[in-house]
Amino acid sequence: MSAATGGSLQPLESADGPLLGCESCGLVSRGVPPDRLPEGAVLRCSRCRHPLHHEKPFSVQRTWSCVIAAAILYVPANAMPVMSTTSAFDTNTHTLLGGIHELWIDGSWGLAVIVFVASIAVPVLKIAALGLLAWSVRRAPDWRRLERARLFRLIELVGHWSMLDVYVVVLLAACVRFGSLASAHPEPGLLAFAAVVVLTLLAAHSFDPRLIWRDRQQHG
Amino acid sequence: MADISEEDGPATPPAALQNLPRPKVERPRRLGLSLVWLVPIVALIVAGSLFVRTVILVGPRIDIEFATADGIEPGKTDVRYKEVIVGKVQTVSLRGDRKRVIVTVRLDRSAAGLAVKDTQFWVVRPRVGAGGISGLGTLLSGAYIGTDAGESTEPRDSFVGLEGPPFVLRGEPGSVFVLRADDLGSLEVGSPVLYRRIRVGRVVGYTLDPAIDEIAVRVFVEAPYHTLVTPQTRFWNASGVDLQLSASGLTLNAQSVASVLAGGIAFEMPRGVPKAAPARPESRFVLFNDRRAALAPEDGPPIPVRMIFDQTARGLGENAPIDFLGVEIGRVRTVSLDYDAKRQRFPVRVMADIYPLRLGAVRGALFKGTDGDPAAELAVLKSMVERGLRAQLRTGNLLTGQLYVALDFTAKNTKATATITDGTIDLPTAPGTLSEVQSQVAEIVQKMSKVPFEQIGNNLASTLGQANAAIAQLTPEARKALSEASAAIAQLTPEAQKTLAEVERTLNRAQASLDSLDRNLTSPNAPLQRNVEETMEELHRAAQSLRILSDYLQLHPESLLRGKPGDAALPTGRSKP
Repeated sequence: MSAATGGSLQPLESADGPLLGCESCGLVSRGVPPDRLPEGAVLRCSRCRHPLHHEKPFSVQRTWSCVIAAAILYVPANAMPVMSTTSAFDTNTHTLLGGIHELWIDGSWGLAVIVFVASIAVPVLKIAALGLLAWSVRRAPDWRRLERARLFRLIELVGHWSMLDVYVVVLLAACVRFGSLASAHPEPGLLAFAAVVVLTLLAAHSFDPRLIWRDRQQHG
Repeated sequence: MADISEEDGPATPPAALQNLPRPKVERPRRLGLSLVWLVPIVALIVAGSLFVRTVILVGPRIDIEFATADGIEPGKTDVRYKEVIVGKVQTVSLRGDRKRVIVTVRLDRSAAGLAVKDTQFWVVRPRVGAGGISGLGTLLSGAYIGTDAGESTEPRDSFVGLEGPPFVLRGEPGSVFVLRADDLGSLEVGSPVLYRRIRVGRVVGYTLDPAIDEIAVRVFVEAPYHTLVTPQTRFWNASGVDLQLSASGLTLNAQSVASVLAGGIAFEMPRGVPKAAPARPESRFVLFNDRRAALAPEDGPPIPVRMIFDQTARGLGENAPIDFLGVEIGRVRTVSLDYDAKRQRFPVRVMADIYPLRLGAVRGALFKGTDGDPAAELAVLKSMVERGLRAQLRTGNLLTGQLYVALDFTAKNTKATATITDGTIDLPTAPGTLSEVQSQVAEIVQKMSKVPFEQIGNNLASTLGQANAAIAQLTPEARKALSEASAAIAQLTPEAQKTLAEVERTLNRAQASLDSLDRNLTSPNAPLQRNVEETMEELHRAAQSLRILSDYLQLHPESLLRGKPGDAALPTGRSKP
């Protein structure tokens, strides 16, 4: 994703400005001089029509908005029950933390740790990391660029697995339907949790890692 | 272009860069970037609404005190009103003095109105009683806290829970009535209230008031049957089987199998009472012991009566009837022994209650305008005693030997007066019929035992023997006398026949002469009869002419002197010419 592996390399530039590589088909295009570019115009790959950017538009703003939304929804996702189970004897609602607590009490420590990491720790860390990345683009552009790039790759990697809880609950709700004997229902907390996961994914997606290197390019 | 590439990119051949395709330029379709910020705003709204639901819409928190937290689990036990979940138990803790537990409940916002002063809470557990099984559902689901919503508007946040479910829920259609009872019988909370043996309600509670030593039984009569209860309705205890062995024989009464087992209360309107408006809720009634007592006419205050009997009172029990000409007007209270020093005897003293109102018209006829005045009632009785009213022990049931006290006007009794001491009237008594017979029979037997039957028999035998001998001596003489008599009669016979024939002839002649006489006199053609008739006719005519003469003379007395004047000339043509 990032064009350079070190801070010392200079990108190639044509006479019309920096070259643009198509993210979809790999065709490299010449740049367009800014004075010949109408206000707000979009450049597209001449071969596959994929939009061409030097950097993703409004990347930092979008990242921020998604991170903030995720942070807001993270509270109800944890405070409210994500699932209710009804058995012949009683009705129980489960929050994420409550479920982890029960697993821990029951002795399934390994499982408790896994659920804790996947459901509590990872979203928090993702939100924090994306916030850090978005913040450092403007405020601390020179700070540990390589580590930040690695952190971003890690976030993208982890993101594939963060819908685990949602899948579990949806599967349970779909499978456990035994009338009055036993049934499971998703609760509003699950919606919030799914929104948190989706928003962090969106935030990670809208963040352009090229921004990590940008300031050096421009100011250095 | 080339100049730019020369300046900026010396490492790359500009020609290669020139061969790169140019990107296409499109008009923008995008609107302003500020729309991105809608995402966190929407998130904020969603999160906020969730919070509003969970935090702000939560109802009040209340504390309920129970004797035990059996079956109550924090976070799981529901609070239900009409089987709708309206809250959840949050915590269960001991009260400060560790005698009771305090259950903290979070009510739903929609049920916040339940947290008012007169709301009642109780724990619903499975209960098995004589009246039925309740709360069976809680066997599986676990206990829950039941609620009966109060009607007050005064908010409250701490309650004392009931130990069992209340038996009348607010808003349940029907009426509660209070019955005063001396004895609870086999009644229990939940016992049925029956009307014509149909279950129309239930006992919902009872309290014993130590101050007035009386049981107040609260019964609930369900709608629409509560309108059957009017101020005149009588309630009685229909508990179990009522087996009575009394002077009136053996009676067995039972309402229904359920009431036999679980007890019950029945009610009915006394006959002949006009239908009145339904009684108001919380009306007070008397709970009678049995149906007969309940449906009996109003008794009014009793008059205490003392009676002294000189005979055994075996078979006279408590509550034995006091009977006046077949109408039961009172009941025996106590039977006890007394000692009469003057006569050196042990009479039986019977204390009884007489209900003067049961005398009905008798009382009205004897004494007017004495309602409710005990002294006047006593005076009525006294006057009846002076007219010969006496108490008598009589056998009511020959099989069992039950006795009753009969009041009767016994004419042969001597004069007596009733004495009144401290409001108790002493009724004079007469020996009972049976005891009278008994004593008479005993007397007879005694007298008969004095008769010397053996001696009499011996005497009789000897007398008969003598008579026999005498007859034997007399026989020949008697025969002779008889034969003589028959001979004399035979001699007399011819003469007598002659005489009789003559007599007959004479009589015949007399008959003939009487016949002719009869003809002359009574036949309408008889000459005598006709002559008399003619004579009478003549006489009649003579009397008539005499009357004409006398009339004429009265009008014309001068004719005696001058003689009768000539007839006046007729007023016709003869006077004119």
